[in-house]
Amino acid sequence: MAPAGRAARLKRRAGRWVLRAIAALVFFFIFIPVIFVVWISLFQQQIVSFPPEGYTLRWYENAFARTEFRDGFGLSLQVAFLAMLIGVTSGAAAAYAIVRFRFPGREALNTLLLGPLVVPGIVAGTSLYVYYIMVENILDMDFRATLHGLVLGHILLTIPWTVRLVSASLIGLDRAVEEAAMNLGAGPWTTFRRITLPMMRPGLVAASLFSFIQSFENLELTLLLVGPGRTTLPVAMLNYLEFRIDPTIAAVATVQIVLIGALMLITDRFVKLSRIV
Amino acid sequence: MARAAALAAARSGRRAGAFSLGPALAVPAALLVAAFLAAPLAVLFRYSLNRYSPREFMIDAVTAENYIRFFTDAYFIGVLATTVQVAAVCTAVSLLFAFPLAYLLARTDSRWKSALVIAVVFPLMVGNVVRAAGWMAVLGNDGIVNHALLGLGLVTQPVRLMYTPFAVHVGIIAVVLPYMILTLQSVIEGIGRDVEEAASNLGAGPITVFRRVLLPLSLPGVIAGSTLVFILCMNAYATPVLLGGPQFKMMAPALYDQFVRTTNWPFGAALAFILMVSTLVLTVIGTTVLSRRMHHRRLEAAPR
Repeated sequence: MAPAGRAARLKRRAGRWVLRAIAALVFFFIFIPVIFVVWISLFQQQIVSFPPEGYTLRWYENAFARTEFRDGFGLSLQVAFLAMLIGVTSGAAAAYAIVRFRFPGREALNTLLLGPLVVPGIVAGTSLYVYYIMVENILDMDFRATLHGLVLGHILLTIPWTVRLVSASLIGLDRAVEEAAMNLGAGPWTTFRRITLPMMRPGLVAASLFSFIQSFENLELTLLLVGPGRTTLPVAMLNYLEFRIDPTIAAVATVQIVLIGALMLITDRFVKLSRIV
Repeated sequence: MARAAALAAARSGRRAGAFSLGPALAVPAALLVAAFLAAPLAVLFRYSLNRYSPREFMIDAVTAENYIRFFTDAYFIGVLATTVQVAAVCTAVSLLFAFPLAYLLARTDSRWKSALVIAVVFPLMVGNVVRAAGWMAVLGNDGIVNHALLGLGLVTQPVRLMYTPFAVHVGIIAVVLPYMILTLQSVIEGIGRDVEEAASNLGAGPITVFRRVLLPLSLPGVIAGSTLVFILCMNAYATPVLLGGPQFKMMAPALYDQFVRTTNWPFGAALAFILMVSTLVLTVIGTTVLSRRMHHRRLEAAPR
């Protein structure tokens, strides 16, 4: 009996280690591309080959000197910031309406607002492309390759995330605190401003972060909406990568990795990221 | 008394004055989605019924010929078949590899847990283009894999890994794994440890516990994760373009080509709807098959 028990225990232990080994490999696997991009951006030689002949930071300088990356970075920051601002404001208001009020068409509204998650980015992008051309002819106003055209498209990326994250934070909110405030004489506006809004803050911060990142790294929806001289960073990177991979593009990618990593760390100070994804 | 009534009304969200204002808060967001997603999709669908003419570009019509052309053209059937095959393989492989990590993340008491979860989310956030660039450096002829193979003397000249279906599979699996891990982890966390302990106290070995207890109970997560990942694979663009090269065609790049290279809008529009509908049909079939199995298991397990 005892030896059999020991054997079973040993087997279970071995099983655990196999499980851990697979998990570690999977972890490594999803990190491989990130690790290599950062590493290559520091290589001395221009043509990527292993092992590196030495290390340098000059590719960062080189990347910054290329207008397509510098302008792309600037444009992506602008688009992401504006799309986040408009998307989070309108999305949070909509989430508030959906969670706090009962009205006909509430379910349909929720489905509509989460719609951009369901439609493939490339389909949303091509449909916006033909739509913009149609609208341009009617209104005699440019939409393709303009800042407002890109922002209006990118708002689509931010609304569903905002509705999801803000709804979740509103559902978890204790209404008794609001009622207490009102009982103590606070009007609806004061209650909202002093109680509800601060309690919504984690959801709003998370929504802003995700919205910004979704817009900043978007490729598919943007692909057809850019034009010469007005290209976002991911599209500029794709165009470059279709010809070659070198330390310059790796440096650009590393800048994006660092930016997104920093945003995630900052947000984690406000809300536990592991709780909301 | 009045205050109690007001409170009750507030609770149900029907306070006087707020009644009309509340739902109105959703108007800006709803208008934005309607104007920049629903309306463009409607226009695109209308165009898919038009006729293409190389000289006049697009002729107003109501015809199904673009859809018929797709299903009678061996090339495009092949593109769809490749897309479905890649999506199915990548979904299955990511499910297989995500499970152990998701399980350990769900069951760990380590104080590093939240850091580990963030580490899973992080690659997902850096963007597909960046990750494709990383794989290009790993899989290229001068990449680290070939360097290692040559160094070990396993091959005498570089093995072609880039611009192959293999590279596309690897790239897509790496893209979708975090989604699968996070979905499975949240479902496994909801399964009590006591269920597993009870099974193993009753003499079930780890494999039996997994097969008879853990897997059936985590099936909702398996279904949710597989559906999400399958959809993402079907719509993949950056990874097949950068790692598969021009020869390897999946639906999303083929769709893009119709608008940019061939400028055949009606056919491109039809491709968009064929992509969406086939994805929908396949996920519905997959979900039904899997949940029917789950239902079956439940009946089997139910006490009589």
